[in-house]
Amino acid sequence: MRRAVVAAAALATALAVPATASAHATMKEAHPAEQGRVEQPPREITLRFDQSVEAPPNAIVVLAPDGRRLSGTVTQTDRNTVVRARVRGAVSGQAYTVRWRVVSADGHVGMGVFTFGVAVTPPPPTEAVGSSGMTWRDDAARWALFASLALMIGVVGIRLLVLPGELDPRVERRIHLLGALGAFLALNTGIAGFVIRSANALQVSGVDLLYADLSPFAESTRFGTAFLVTTLGFGVCLTILVVAWALDVPLLRWPAFLLGLALVWGYPLSGHQATEPNATLLGAVADWVHLVTAMLWVGGVLTLAVVVWPLAPRLRREAFLRFSRVAVLLVGLLVAAGTIVAIERLPELSDLWGTSYGQTLLVKIGLVCVALAWGGFHHAVVRPRLERGVTPPGVGRSLLGESAVALAVLFAAAVLVNGAPPPVEAGSTTATPTSVR
Amino acid sequence: MLPRAEIAHWLFAAGFLFFGLVLLAEAIVGQAVFRRRAWRAYLWPSLALFAGVWLWVIAIFSTFSTLHLVAHSIWAQAATAAGAVELARVRGRLHSSYWSLVTAGALLVSGGSFLVHEQNGWLFSRSAFLHHLIGWTLVVASLFPLGAALRPRRAVWVYGFALTWIAVAVMLFSDRDIAPIFGHLSDLAGGTP
Repeated sequence: MRRAVVAAAALATALAVPATASAHATMKEAHPAEQGRVEQPPREITLRFDQSVEAPPNAIVVLAPDGRRLSGTVTQTDRNTVVRARVRGAVSGQAYTVRWRVVSADGHVGMGVFTFGVAVTPPPPTEAVGSSGMTWRDDAARWALFASLALMIGVVGIRLLVLPGELDPRVERRIHLLGALGAFLALNTGIAGFVIRSANALQVSGVDLLYADLSPFAESTRFGTAFLVTTLGFGVCLTILVVAWALDVPLLRWPAFLLGLALVWGYPLSGHQATEPNATLLGAVADWVHLVTAMLWVGGVLTLAVVVWPLAPRLRREAFLRFSRVAVLLVGLLVAAGTIVAIERLPELSDLWGTSYGQTLLVKIGLVCVALAWGGFHHAVVRPRLERGVTPPGVGRSLLGESAVALAVLFAAAVLVNGAPPPVEAGSTTATPTSVR
Repeated sequence: MLPRAEIAHWLFAAGFLFFGLVLLAEAIVGQAVFRRRAWRAYLWPSLALFAGVWLWVIAIFSTFSTLHLVAHSIWAQAATAAGAVELARVRGRLHSSYWSLVTAGALLVSGGSFLVHEQNGWLFSRSAFLHHLIGWTLVVASLFPLGAALRPRRAVWVYGFALTWIAVAVMLFSDRDIAPIFGHLSDLAGGTP
């Protein structure tokens, strides 16, 4: 206890004592502009900060697409708020990467990356020279996001669609809790995913990442736009769900559920797949249906396993039978939509084993088969017994097992959404058999 | 498209001033009189929930640093949590006075985030000074709902909580991006020493 008090006092003192020379700068303006297009090769890069900064010799590095460095030593003007670097060798028709790094007066390193094009449209900053591709962290963040959405959309959706009417207060409370928890986690895992992906392009971690400029990723990329829209939308969903709980009006969950369904659109529209030359509206719709049905299915199984079975023995039979009927429809839509998406992304059958994307898809299909077999067992063996009024032992544990497999399927889905399918040449329906992850 | 930082500060200052005055009115006339119109009881939780949604709007405009994005998202979630719990108390779903601890926690976390997200020292600029001041005000103000949880009958907690928001509103109205503090602008901020 005494140690805790001393630690708290030390922290309070550290926060209270002002630093005598601390300042953290933010980049306010760049020329050429971030993700901008200029018609003539620039002779210098200019960055303007809101405060004076210290610029090391390599504060601005301009890189050609082949990795050649085109920038020279930097100079500073305007009371050290403007940093310039001369550029030599830039030519028309190419895009360039600018990596900047300055030291604020507080010792913190501010940094950022952006691209610009000379008579061409530049690529997004995620494709800047030196950026790393997706890592396991991106996949983990995406999986956590999908699992959160399975709680928010799945559990709430199953309550609205499969279990309408008045429920045991304990069941209602837990559904409120899981729905709000799902929205809370969706918000925070979404933020984590955005920061992780930006860090891949910035090539920073730790404290440096805290001061990194993420605005080029938010404003100039499809995933950034999706992040902004879904963050605001999930914030609204969270507010609606907690109001539904506080006022005890379960029907208020409808707008949160419908808004959640709409927001899932952001993922098919912002993924790698949407930018492929053979991408179609049908494929995007199928992708959305695939994600939504998967979340409802996972949410339904979770609702049975962690809400109905432990809390409401009298509701078990009715809930199980109702969900069984809906599950057949969900699984049918899930498989049909998944097939459409797979055909669009892998036009050649050999892509399934010849590319890393196809191999991941095979793993996912295997996991889906396990989950379907598990669900089929419930449908064929447990359901008839429940209809006869007999509750077989171990169903709760079996539902938990099916939930675990369903969450594993979501992980494979997360890896696929983050990955890029084999590239397809414009005007062609044949994929180039190369590994892209 | 990006609103200037002071516009967001002033917008929230106006909201907090209204919030503080509502709470002060309730403290002065007493809860029984204030809540003769039932809707008045819903003002405080509704304003907190509304502030939570607005803070998400500000959060998505704060991607100029990871720290700002995270700090604004923390404030949004703190406001939502406090508003939801208070709404449930008004509605009669929650009864224990210990639920005030949620508001205390929200203030503590919000104050801590204010202090951490301000990257400059106290005397760097007016906004830096005010951010430090607001952070410490919120940290100290977390004692009011804490007191309300432990000694619910004492009026001092209600007055303290109300005056906190009026003080925060005044500080936010004084907040500007880079401006002199007490007539002096740090040379580090690009000013003349």
